[in-house]
Amino acid sequence: MVDMSTFIDVAVYLGIILIKILVLVFPLFIVVAYYTLAERKIIGYMQVRVGPNRVGFDAVPGLRRIRGLGQPIADAVKLMFKEIVIPTNANVFLFVIAPVLSFAPAIAAWAVIPFDDGWVVADINVGLLYLLAMTSISVYGVIIAGWASNSKYAFLGSIRSAAQIISYEIAMGFTLVGVVLAAGSLNLSDIVMAQKGSLIHWYWLPLFPLFIIYFISATAETNRAPFDVAEGESEIVAGFHTEYSGMLFAVFFLAEYANMILVSALAVIMFLGGWLSPFEGTILGETILGQHGIVWFLLKTSIFMLLFLWFRATFPRYRYDQIMRLGWKIFIPITLVWIVVEAAAVLANLPPWFVEG
Amino acid sequence: MLENYVPIALFIIVSLAIGLIMPTLGFILGPRKPDEEKNSPYECGFEAFEDARMKFDVRYYLVAILFIIFDLEIAFLFPWAVIFKDAGIFEFVAMLIFLLLLTIGFIYEWKKGALEWE
Amino acid sequence: MIKFTFYFFSIILIFAAMRLITVRNPVHAALFLVLSFFSSASIWLLLHAEFLAIALILVYVGAVMVLFLFVVMMLDINVTMIRDGFARYMPVATLVGVVILVEMGLVIFSHLPEVQPVVMAADVSNTKMLGQVLYTIYVYPFEIAAVILLVAMVAAIALTHIPRTRMKYQTPSHQVNVRRQDRVRLVKMPTEPKD
Repeated sequence: MVDMSTFIDVAVYLGIILIKILVLVFPLFIVVAYYTLAERKIIGYMQVRVGPNRVGFDAVPGLRRIRGLGQPIADAVKLMFKEIVIPTNANVFLFVIAPVLSFAPAIAAWAVIPFDDGWVVADINVGLLYLLAMTSISVYGVIIAGWASNSKYAFLGSIRSAAQIISYEIAMGFTLVGVVLAAGSLNLSDIVMAQKGSLIHWYWLPLFPLFIIYFISATAETNRAPFDVAEGESEIVAGFHTEYSGMLFAVFFLAEYANMILVSALAVIMFLGGWLSPFEGTILGETILGQHGIVWFLLKTSIFMLLFLWFRATFPRYRYDQIMRLGWKIFIPITLVWIVVEAAAVLANLPPWFVEG
Repeated sequence: MLENYVPIALFIIVSLAIGLIMPTLGFILGPRKPDEEKNSPYECGFEAFEDARMKFDVRYYLVAILFIIFDLEIAFLFPWAVIFKDAGIFEFVAMLIFLLLLTIGFIYEWKKGALEWE
Repeated sequence: MIKFTFYFFSIILIFAAMRLITVRNPVHAALFLVLSFFSSASIWLLLHAEFLAIALILVYVGAVMVLFLFVVMMLDINVTMIRDGFARYMPVATLVGVVILVEMGLVIFSHLPEVQPVVMAADVSNTKMLGQVLYTIYVYPFEIAAVILLVAMVAAIALTHIPRTRMKYQTPSHQVNVRRQDRVRLVKMPTEPKD
């Protein structure tokens, strides 16, 4: 028979992991919620509006009241009490399961993201490959949603969106190969540690073309402006989630924002040294600013998150043929060439990035 | 090694659970007032007169096929990238030939116009 | 514990494979195939083949099944039409089935030497070991794989691509290189007298 104490050991072991997961997921949800508010506020100010300003509460007692701070909560409650309309001709099971299929990979991918040295839920050897696999799975939600709805707009939106996502995944995969080539590991913590040294040692410099291509591909992968033809309002209503309402829509929405934060975090880990301090190796390196820590990671991630919003407020929407051209005819050749160049640099032990050891 | 994958399995279960709980909440809390017009698929002002699932351009299939090939290529590149720091000129040339062959295919599809979109 | 996990995933795998060939809806069938890929990946993981397990998900679930879904969903397959062809294709299908069965039987009953997973230190990356042999000892199969991929690429284009003579598209470089002189002509005209 199974010994009682081993059973308790297993339960404690699983419980600790579960707590770690919840400690990660709850703040993530809050960030997602307030990211939506930040989007509306920031784009509002960029367009000389004020954005949401009705639902609010005092963030800090005594301070001037920040209007609109309660908006995400109000939105969530509203969506919860909305009717979920299921179209007559829809395939009910697939219709309900599609948002879950797009949401689960977006959350599960966070398992391998290191926030600080050792602050990672699952420290696996093939972390980057796992992330790539999770991103490629999220396309299922889009395809199935479009097909299950049995609506022309949803269907067209899902095909467009799926073709776009898989096209940019190739370019993204090649940029990941470039990072692995420089770091010599698929483990995300190792990739960050390989960039240790100073601001110059981070991979944004030797891999500059890949860095730019990664972030643009990430924007296309997450179906964000200016690559949001899948939900081009003027052409195909809301794209693959045309028929979705209430909580089912909310799940799609959360998945999109969780994905945006994920790719921002990944950009920081791969190209901007994760939790490493930018002041390392400078005069300030010995002071508190030179300390590595989660603060740097969060700070850098929020810069990329801001970029997403800035893109949306700035760029007009790309046309579909232009999107496909950019992905296939520009990004793939550049990444291929750069990987060969980089491999030659690694072979030549080009300092300071590719020195042996 | 396997113990590193226990958190991954749990994480996937938790994310699936959250993903399922949220719609369930919506189904419980939200009203249900089905209506023939409300439940019909969205169409600009008229009844849908045919099934929405139609045949579409073969180029989308072509994109999917080419994606498989490039995805495999990426899968081949990963182990190479991992060991390349400890490797020498032999591995470099091996990968160069591999990439060259695929570049020939890439140029072929480019010249054939498989990457053109209207 | 490993044994339990193995049987757990095996049961899911067998169940998914059974449902794959028994469900009516082709899209459901494709999704059951995805589930069986997941279960097989988990079993590979139990064999400590972490790179291959995740590559299986990446390539098969992430790419091959997307194409399958595209084809299955968009071809608009009529179930009754498939039924009509059932008797006609039966002999060929039976033949293929028997061949597969014989092959599997040969593998099972030929007493192959038992393969044990290579036991290694926990910190040695599986991917690294794979990389060390793939591009040195197995370099010829590796390059042959590249040739096969090239053939696949050419074949896919040759089969599906219909040259479009009517196709209209812009050349972006032309658009960018346009000068003002090409498009705009400034005309000087005397002012009309006001009357």
